[in-house]
Amino acid sequence: MRPAVAAVKWLARTLAIVFLVLAGSTILVRCAPGYLSDAREMDSRYADAARAELSAEAARSGSMLHMLSSEVSGWTHGNAGISRQYGIPVFELIRPRLAVTGGLLLRSLGLAWVLALSAALLSSAGRNPSMLWQIPATVLLAIPTAAMATLCLLGDRGGPVFVMALLLAARDFKFLHRALRKAWLDPHLLQARAQGMRMYRLLVAHVLPATSPQISALASLSIVTALSALVPVEVIFNIPGLGQLAWNAAMNRDLPVLLAVTMMMAVAVTLAGMASDHPPGWRSA
Amino acid sequence: MRVKLFAAYALAALVLMAAAVLTAPHASYSRQDREAPFAAASRKHPAGTDALGRDRLARVAAALLLSLTGAAVASAATTAAAAGIGALAAFGKAHVGWTAMLICDVFLALPWLFLLMMVRSALPLTTSPASSAAITFLVLAALGWPACAQAVYRGARNLRNSEWMFHARAGGLRSAQMMRSVIPNLIPLLLPQFLVSIPAFVIAEANLGALGLGIGEPLPSWGGMLLELDNSATLFDTRWVYFPVALLITVLLLLEAAAGEA
Repeated sequence: MRPAVAAVKWLARTLAIVFLVLAGSTILVRCAPGYLSDAREMDSRYADAARAELSAEAARSGSMLHMLSSEVSGWTHGNAGISRQYGIPVFELIRPRLAVTGGLLLRSLGLAWVLALSAALLSSAGRNPSMLWQIPATVLLAIPTAAMATLCLLGDRGGPVFVMALLLAARDFKFLHRALRKAWLDPHLLQARAQGMRMYRLLVAHVLPATSPQISALASLSIVTALSALVPVEVIFNIPGLGQLAWNAAMNRDLPVLLAVTMMMAVAVTLAGMASDHPPGWRSA
Repeated sequence: MRVKLFAAYALAALVLMAAAVLTAPHASYSRQDREAPFAAASRKHPAGTDALGRDRLARVAAALLLSLTGAAVASAATTAAAAGIGALAAFGKAHVGWTAMLICDVFLALPWLFLLMMVRSALPLTTSPASSAAITFLVLAALGWPACAQAVYRGARNLRNSEWMFHARAGGLRSAQMMRSVIPNLIPLLLPQFLVSIPAFVIAEANLGALGLGIGEPLPSWGGMLLELDNSATLFDTRWVYFPVALLITVLLLLEAAAGEA
């Protein structure tokens, strides 16, 4: 297949995924049994007529087509809809938090990859890989993120970057260790090591190029994991980022905000996937 | 193999201990002892009580059983769905496989915690605790299958292209007859997926509960117990209670992880 055709097909598939994510999220929320209920309907300060009006308004705006069209028009107008809780465009709530969350993610991912790659290189190159490398990673993965964040906060040790980096490093280390170990045990590398070739040269010339597809795929997986850890970490450390905004929206049933943040996260995951999964034409070119 | 056996036995011992705690006379995870909130360990309450005077040991035991059962059921549902979809994609027509994998990609592109929060927050305000537990694990199962389905698809594709399958097709075996041989061959692939999903679901439920979006009170859950850690004054007053609980959770998850990995 020609590279251009392959690239177009790949791009079309990626765009289809983004659209299906938008439609799927909207349908999922609309089908949730309590979507049409509003907390204000249970507030005795509202008169019966006002509550009936709230209920009727929810029913009017609850049709699937109306939701999808308002979601799409919100995104095309650049405001991502109107927040139920604050009554302002969702994008105004998101914009100041993007830099906070982006900074947290970048620092956490950077630290995590330094930790995971260093540990994996050391553990995989050894002759007898010790359980001492595996046990800390397993322990870190066994602790829920929320518990780890709470303990760090209460113990006044480490911060949000530290918690996220530990979690990501533990997960990445396991994959990296396996991939690098497999590469080191390749017959031609074993022979080169037996002949006394320098480890650094083997690493740069053979091991890292051989494992680069796995490392690239793992990088996109890291972003997915980081996005999932974002909510508990931002909530517990009280960081005004997108995770805290989503949690606040979930607690106050502000679904337009929650839907917009979920969409942004889904697009981020898809873009991360695009970065690691180049079109087939590029590989053959 | 030894690690796997040890983990399985230790896990079984923990479950039996939890069942023994809950079936003991007068044991209840929801009964409130209004005169003894935050009580220290005593013969009546071996691990003390919480802010509402409920027995912590009974709550931890009930949370363990609830979390494990829910996660195991969700994992079984996920694995079954993944097996069905993965096999259908591999053995069906090309466009069926393409569509199934596209749906998998869509689900994998969705950040699961945000989706869980979205669905949980859209539940009716009057949802009962039992329903909230069932819905939490149902949603986990509904979102957990795509990665497993992709693994099954790859395994099933290899099987489809194997020599004995060519012979079977050339010999005139029908699809239904071939599936009878395919499914046992997929079990080595499905069992690790099932075991790996259990701790993942336990942790997911704990994280959701810690955000106040998990299983509703008065049903106990580890996530809900983590919410109590919000109050640092309480934590420091009763830290002797939390450390064993934290240790138990960590040991349990480690055992599950070891059982899944081995």
